[in-house]
Amino acid sequence: MMRFMLLFSRQGKLRLQKWYLATSDKEWKTMVVLAHKPKMCSFLEWRDLKVVCKRYASLYFCCAIEGQDNELITLELIHRYVELLDKYFGSTCELDIIFNFEKVSFILDEVLMGGDVQDTSGKSVLKAIKQADLLQEEVESPHSVLGEMGLA
Amino acid sequence: MSDMVERTLTALPGLFLQNQLGGPATSRAPFSSRLGGLIRGVTALSSKHEEEKLIQQELSSLKVTVAAPMTTLKMMKECMVRLIYCEMLGYDASFGYIHAIKLAQQGNLLEKRVGYLAVSLFLHENHELLLLLVNTVVKDLQSTNLVEVCMALTVVSQIFPREMIPAVLPLIEDKLQHSKEIIRRKAVLALYKFYLIAPNQVQHIHTKFRKALCDRDVGVMAASLHIYLRMIKENPSGYKDLTGSFVTILKQVVGGKLPVDFNYHSVPAPWLQIQLLRILGLLGKDDRRTSELMYDVLDESLRRAELNHNVTYAILFECVHTIYSIYPKSELLEKAVKCIGKFVLSPKINLKYLGLKALTYVIQQDPSLALQHQITIIECLDHPDPIIKREVK
Repeated sequence: MMRFMLLFSRQGKLRLQKWYLATSDKEWKTMVVLAHKPKMCSFLEWRDLKVVCKRYASLYFCCAIEGQDNELITLELIHRYVELLDKYFGSTCELDIIFNFEKVSFILDEVLMGGDVQDTSGKSVLKAIKQADLLQEEVESPHSVLGEMGLA
Repeated sequence: MSDMVERTLTALPGLFLQNQLGGPATSRAPFSSRLGGLIRGVTALSSKHEEEKLIQQELSSLKVTVAAPMTTLKMMKECMVRLIYCEMLGYDASFGYIHAIKLAQQGNLLEKRVGYLAVSLFLHENHELLLLLVNTVVKDLQSTNLVEVCMALTVVSQIFPREMIPAVLPLIEDKLQHSKEIIRRKAVLALYKFYLIAPNQVQHIHTKFRKALCDRDVGVMAASLHIYLRMIKENPSGYKDLTGSFVTILKQVVGGKLPVDFNYHSVPAPWLQIQLLRILGLLGKDDRRTSELMYDVLDESLRRAELNHNVTYAILFECVHTIYSIYPKSELLEKAVKCIGKFVLSPKINLKYLGLKALTYVIQQDPSLALQHQITIIECLDHPDPIIKREVK
């Protein structure tokens, strides 16, 4: 089960955080230093957890998983999440994530629930997000939109 | 429908551009770009002290705005996003918590969504304000608007006060039979959350989980596996009768019988495969008869995973782990060791690390099988990466 996921820039500025288990001690900044070595293993050990880090351009994605979890699949999970962000924003860059972190959070919630992956198809994740987004456009006539989508 | 999507998607870049053109966070700037302005303001500063000053200023102004009676829900939503940002940077915005709950309660769909998100980020399980959320959740669960139901179920899966589970349990159980698969799936995940925080409260609905396992929608079935994995860990013998079902499902996944959307880089539902492999590993431990049911599908999984992709290696690793957890079968053990060879000899560091980890399972079972990799292990002792060195020892 995933304990938390953090996104931060190379300078250590936090861009997104999602904690799945209440942790009072949030001293994750030590990880920033460790994550900077490119040729080393992507898996680090921190406290009693394993941290899987992957860098995309200037952003570090870090996920902390428990002892019995599969590190390699977590790496792929990060990649799957990035692919979904890419599809949603149309070629994501760090700015998209920074300025729309609440949307990024919603997408993460569809992919990961309570620290575990929901293995739903990529298509259905994007569909769920877009349906909620469309409501922003059609605020004047919500019934027609929902009616067309078969949700009301 | 699709051209509405077209219009939204073309409008999106325009919305982002609007954010980026906004000026510094002054009262003259358009309200929607305040977040953009704040973030840019923070990024431009060089010292922690200046950042603190700017954020405190922002927080004071937000404190006034959220308490003002003239503030509309739309404005509240914008404030909430900035509050989330400030908390993320480590500053206290607790004055905003109650307003997050109010936003979820009173807002329209989009405002409600931000309200719920804020609540899930700000509060923790034992927070006294969390009880105030329950009424809103109950109302939304009964809404005719399915998007509201989805939002309520999502927030329940993230954070919910344990004492109030009985208030929502019947409503959520009801959703297990809903016609829309997204609702059924989210209901299963909400129940999973309840299982984690108060397992005795969901004892009586185990039969409903079985129904979810056989659901025609793959997503719902996959969601039920989370619960099963936990329950099987606690009590493997109680679920041995389901071994056949899990084996069948895995066979179907590996055989490519799922809809194509569940593929990830041409590999069918990898996360699902891994869940199933873990469940089988727990069921087959020290039990010859149950293990015998699995040998075929494990063999198949080892064979099918031929693509040279990280995901395939992830599945192979899990497969090897399962093979070494259940009642041993010599041909399978040998095939697994050959697989591990691919890992350990790989130039990629991550794979080497996992290969060494897998070898520890082999050694526990049968040290002689690990001999063929002895030389590689010894070489790894001199490896520059400390994580690899540690694994070798």
